[in-house]
Amino acid sequence: MDFIDYYKVLGLSKGAGEKDIKKAYRKLAREYHPDLNPGNAEAERKFKQVNEAHEVLSDPEKRKKYDQYGKDWEQAEAFEEARKARSARSEYGQYTYSGGPESDFSDFFSSMFGGFGDSRRGRGMGYRGQDLQASLELDLKDAYRTHQRTLDLGGRKIRITIPAGIEDGQTIRIKGHGAPGVNGGPAGDLYIRFTVRNTTPFQREGPQLYKTVRIPLTTAVLGGKITVKTLDGQARLTVKPHTQNGTRVKLKGKGFPFYKQEGIFGDLVLTFEVALPTSLTPEQRALFEQLKQTET
Amino acid sequence: MKSEKYIHLSDFCRGHALEEAFVFLLEEYELVRIEHFNSRPAIHRRDLRRLERLVRLHRDLEIGVPGLQAIEQLLGRMEALQEEMRQLRLRLQRHESRD
Repeated sequence: MDFIDYYKVLGLSKGAGEKDIKKAYRKLAREYHPDLNPGNAEAERKFKQVNEAHEVLSDPEKRKKYDQYGKDWEQAEAFEEARKARSARSEYGQYTYSGGPESDFSDFFSSMFGGFGDSRRGRGMGYRGQDLQASLELDLKDAYRTHQRTLDLGGRKIRITIPAGIEDGQTIRIKGHGAPGVNGGPAGDLYIRFTVRNTTPFQREGPQLYKTVRIPLTTAVLGGKITVKTLDGQARLTVKPHTQNGTRVKLKGKGFPFYKQEGIFGDLVLTFEVALPTSLTPEQRALFEQLKQTET
Repeated sequence: MKSEKYIHLSDFCRGHALEEAFVFLLEEYELVRIEHFNSRPAIHRRDLRRLERLVRLHRDLEIGVPGLQAIEQLLGRMEALQEEMRQLRLRLQRHESRD
């Protein structure tokens, strides 16, 4: 973690007065504000630095602490003690900001001053941010595997893991990804409702999959081997002789994954539909006639 | 990704610790559109990004509403110019690859 020279960030000397700090901050904030520099990551980074520097230098208490321990903060035992004492008797209660790696403040700032703090936001009671609702459409094949997606929430990108086996209409909660809290309160939660679109020949009921398979008349009567497509590949199976139309067979473990039970799958239930010929060659017709003669 | 279509103005203002009067002032300057949802003033999702940008600029840079209006116009012009530049670059590339 590197030391950040907040005076340098604002282009000021150590003896700069309150007015100079404000003036420098205003000038640089205007220059680097992300909304005035769309798509400019460097400007965004600089804006965060400027904000952080202003946050510290415009607050007499923070500035004093920074001036006292700033450069030697890592070695300063006294600073560490002061920090512990501060968090124990924090006048604003426990810091609840959970910005994590996406926080607007540097690690240096967090180490020195605890979590989130912004004098411009006031110091009243913090309250939790709003919960946000969103919906996400998946294909059945997407829902078959645990995978990650990046969602764009009005410019804020979050990466979520969608567990295999998610159901159509199911809602999951992503804690702390709703609207930000106010006055240091925690962020709300994000609720994502999933729609699972099915364009496959499989019907799904939870982890069970159902499919109708057409088999030739001769295979139904005499038996034989067929290959059927499963959701993630294919399976070879034996059709017993004298198989009737509508017969069901179950392929164990070839269905859909159980939600949040990695590696456990439901079954695939196949219904045989015997395909009757729609036209016959003279030779086939003769054979059927012959067959008919044998019927009692 | 689809979220709810409208957010009530009161919810938006509570979430951003903002006076509703400020948003009504933005509407007067035709910077946002306030609609109605369940008989209450609401903001359409498509307008949220813009409104949030205006709130940030107002807060971070202490810019008043007339200033925001000027910025919006200039940003719009900048966007149009950037798009024009992009188109011209594309045409130039095509032209150069033909030679």
